[in-house]
Amino acid sequence: MAAPPVPPVPLVSRRRRLRVGDWLERAAVVVAALVILVAVVGPFVAPHDPYRVALDQSLQPPSAEHWFGTDADGRDVFSRVLAGARVTLLATFVVIAVATVIGVVLGTAAALGGRIVDEILMRICDIGLSFPAMILALGLAAAMGPSLESAVIALALTWWPGYARLVRTLVRETLHAEYVDAARSIGMSRWRLITRHVLPNSLDTLYVQITLDVAAVILVISGLSFVGVGAQPPSAEWGALVAAGRNNVVNGWWVVALPGAAIALTAIAFNLVGDRLRVRNDPTLGNGGKA
Amino acid sequence: MTLLRVENLVKSFPTGYRSPPVTVVKGVSFTLDRGEILGLVGESGSGKSTTARCVARLLPADSGRVVLDGRDVLGASGRELRSLRRDMQMVFQDPYSSLNPRMPVGEAVSEPLLVHGLVTGRAALRRRALELLRMVGLEEEHLDRYPRSFSGGQRQRIAIARAIALEPKLLICDEPVSSLDVSVQAQVLNLFHDLRERLGLTILFIAHDLAVVRHLCDRVAVMRGGEIVEIADSDTLYDNPTHEYTRSLLAAVPIPDPRRERARRGVGTG
Amino acid sequence: MTELLTVRDLRVDFDTPSGPVRVIDGLDLTVAPGERVALVGESGSGKSVTAQAILGLLPTARVTGSVRLDGQELVGASRRILRQVRGNRIGLVFQDPLSSLNPVMTIGRQVMEPLLIRGVRRAEARRRAIDLLARLGVRDAARRFDDYPHQFSGGMRQRVVIAIAVIAEPDLLIADEPTTALDVRIQAQVLSLLDEIAAERRMAVLLITHDLGIVAGFAQRVVVMYAGREVEQGPVDEIFGRARHPYTRGLLAAVPRIDERHQGRLPTIGGQVPTPAQRPDGCAFHPRCSSTVDACRSEVPLLLPRAAAHRVACHVATRHAEQVTEV
Repeated sequence: MAAPPVPPVPLVSRRRRLRVGDWLERAAVVVAALVILVAVVGPFVAPHDPYRVALDQSLQPPSAEHWFGTDADGRDVFSRVLAGARVTLLATFVVIAVATVIGVVLGTAAALGGRIVDEILMRICDIGLSFPAMILALGLAAAMGPSLESAVIALALTWWPGYARLVRTLVRETLHAEYVDAARSIGMSRWRLITRHVLPNSLDTLYVQITLDVAAVILVISGLSFVGVGAQPPSAEWGALVAAGRNNVVNGWWVVALPGAAIALTAIAFNLVGDRLRVRNDPTLGNGGKA
Repeated sequence: MTLLRVENLVKSFPTGYRSPPVTVVKGVSFTLDRGEILGLVGESGSGKSTTARCVARLLPADSGRVVLDGRDVLGASGRELRSLRRDMQMVFQDPYSSLNPRMPVGEAVSEPLLVHGLVTGRAALRRRALELLRMVGLEEEHLDRYPRSFSGGQRQRIAIARAIALEPKLLICDEPVSSLDVSVQAQVLNLFHDLRERLGLTILFIAHDLAVVRHLCDRVAVMRGGEIVEIADSDTLYDNPTHEYTRSLLAAVPIPDPRRERARRGVGTG
Repeated sequence: MTELLTVRDLRVDFDTPSGPVRVIDGLDLTVAPGERVALVGESGSGKSVTAQAILGLLPTARVTGSVRLDGQELVGASRRILRQVRGNRIGLVFQDPLSSLNPVMTIGRQVMEPLLIRGVRRAEARRRAIDLLARLGVRDAARRFDDYPHQFSGGMRQRVVIAIAVIAEPDLLIADEPTTALDVRIQAQVLSLLDEIAAERRMAVLLITHDLGIVAGFAQRVVVMYAGREVEQGPVDEIFGRARHPYTRGLLAAVPRIDERHQGRLPTIGGQVPTPAQRPDGCAFHPRCSSTVDACRSEVPLLLPRAAAHRVACHVATRHAEQVTEV
């Protein structure tokens, strides 16, 4: 009753900064949406065949015909970036999806299971978390033979412990809410309790984390391809594009820089979207009315 | 006729690796007749909420017996427990946390019926939800809204509607009005009163506000340090308390009447 | 009588994402030296914001009007002046004793601090702090002086908070729901301590609370707030015995009483307490009021005197009074 009835009010200066931030966030949402769109329709709208070699067109600078120029084999870089969006994003999506499913299942199991289950799962997570993801993925991918598939599998296996940890904490927190007690006192099944009352209220923070992770996974996938254990030539995966161009960086900067820019822009956009979600998700900034 | 019998209920909580557990409820016994409202009062840490939660099987009791309508509550499991849960429902203190924020209130109110398979079909569930909401003074327009668009008093009404959906024999209320404004608190107290008249509800009413308890309850049990120190019908307890602790509690409750307050404290104001 | 604190036409606006919201709308309030005034209201009435506005603790809100302490204007005063006033001339007690104490500083250090800031020597400050804590019923005050807040119970912590508020002997103590977090017996002890210490030091008290029972036993004068406005004020016996405003009357009737043997339905005020953002036009109470006239829906009623020192803001009560005087 002592609390002021209105939410804390930002200072004028902070409001102005927020407006700029708002604009930036909107731009980020647009860019992220565009990247996803390109991943879906990219190969169909590409001006040239991304895989057609034309050695007579080798290393052309950006022009009206070739917006991003051509690479050493004369392939249109713009078309390859469009095509690569699908490869990179799909790989990222698979990594995150697999890690999320494993993380939610094991995290929930750790939160709800007894102490022994919890201890075992969390120690496994500790081991997973104590390795840098990139190094572990590098080792696994190298062991399984370099290919995009093994990079994806390796990354998914190194990525889930973080989610399991997070989910365990979130679920434990939700279990203390009175509406969970209220639900229990109705006499509903454990499955319904968890799927209707506990998980939906636990996973907000996880969604935000996932959005933020998209950027990180894109970077690692591209990184693995760049060092040669991920996507192999002639794949148009973004990291592979950068890797293929690095020998000609002096007389063909565009082959490296423009796919690199695509990686950077996408990573930044997804990061900003994640930030926006996090702010929206802040319970102190909740808005009334319908969802 | 007795609906609920609690005998020698004991509950302790672990406090850490090496320290001994703390016993919060130390052998509590009481009975509750059909249609009766029993107030369970005490200060914070008296064990009144823990007692309520053990009776409702939200916490496992260490020992003792709880019998609801001739059926053993503490030993029940599976199908038996589900049917017991149908007969006793709970209303919690904080209406801001006792409703699932992601469930529209219409769904929340009819969920118990769905869970127990008593009403099937979306249309029938909605109809029943509306009936329940109307019973607690809410309207059709409220059905599809989420809890956050309601005030504390309205949320507590929704929680009550959900609790009576299964037509339970016993309603256990843990400080149901203590977070509400005075003018809204009176509305909710009247709602309990009306529900008792209309549905013949039996209520175990946990509260720290002794004036509220006197107003609503037929009988009152005073708890301190995990034990019931005095139990009697309301008027007897409030007019002629026998236990020293009850007397000290009653003497501390302020009365909204300046003359009586001055007379009681034997001082003038200024 | 010259007033110690004079609040005139206080308005407080907060900026929110959906536009400015007026939380306090034209509050007048006076506190005489040594007087006990209770500011009563439900959630959203603006009673706590009033206390913060008086002390200049609302840096992000727009505060207009006048708050004078012994003639010195506090609205728009410099930070230095406000700092001097807080603690030195106005003491503060908040609802939650745990969050108003610094968990990593000893009790003694926190009680001495107001004195040390004012340049009192350490030994002297220590002696006075121990005396005060003992006076406030902290047993073994000297031995517990170096304990930390978590080693104290809720009631003891609130005594410490009171000690911090009064050690510099302020002229006015503002207590915002000082006992709401406490059990009823501890509440009674803390209130009687406040009562004694205020009497001893001839200290005025502005008590902010929603609990009418506490008001009856503690205050001399009562100000009732609703939705950011004052609806009625008067001497405590007038308010409890002859309340004029339908809200005040409804509130008093809705409180269950421990000394009454009545069961059945309580008289209630229908509807919900409005938030400041959705304050109804005209008299803010009119949607919940049982006796309204046209003016209630369109005009904000003025706070008009009813009897000596008893003022009420209600079209119906005022009209009724006029008719009586005409006859």
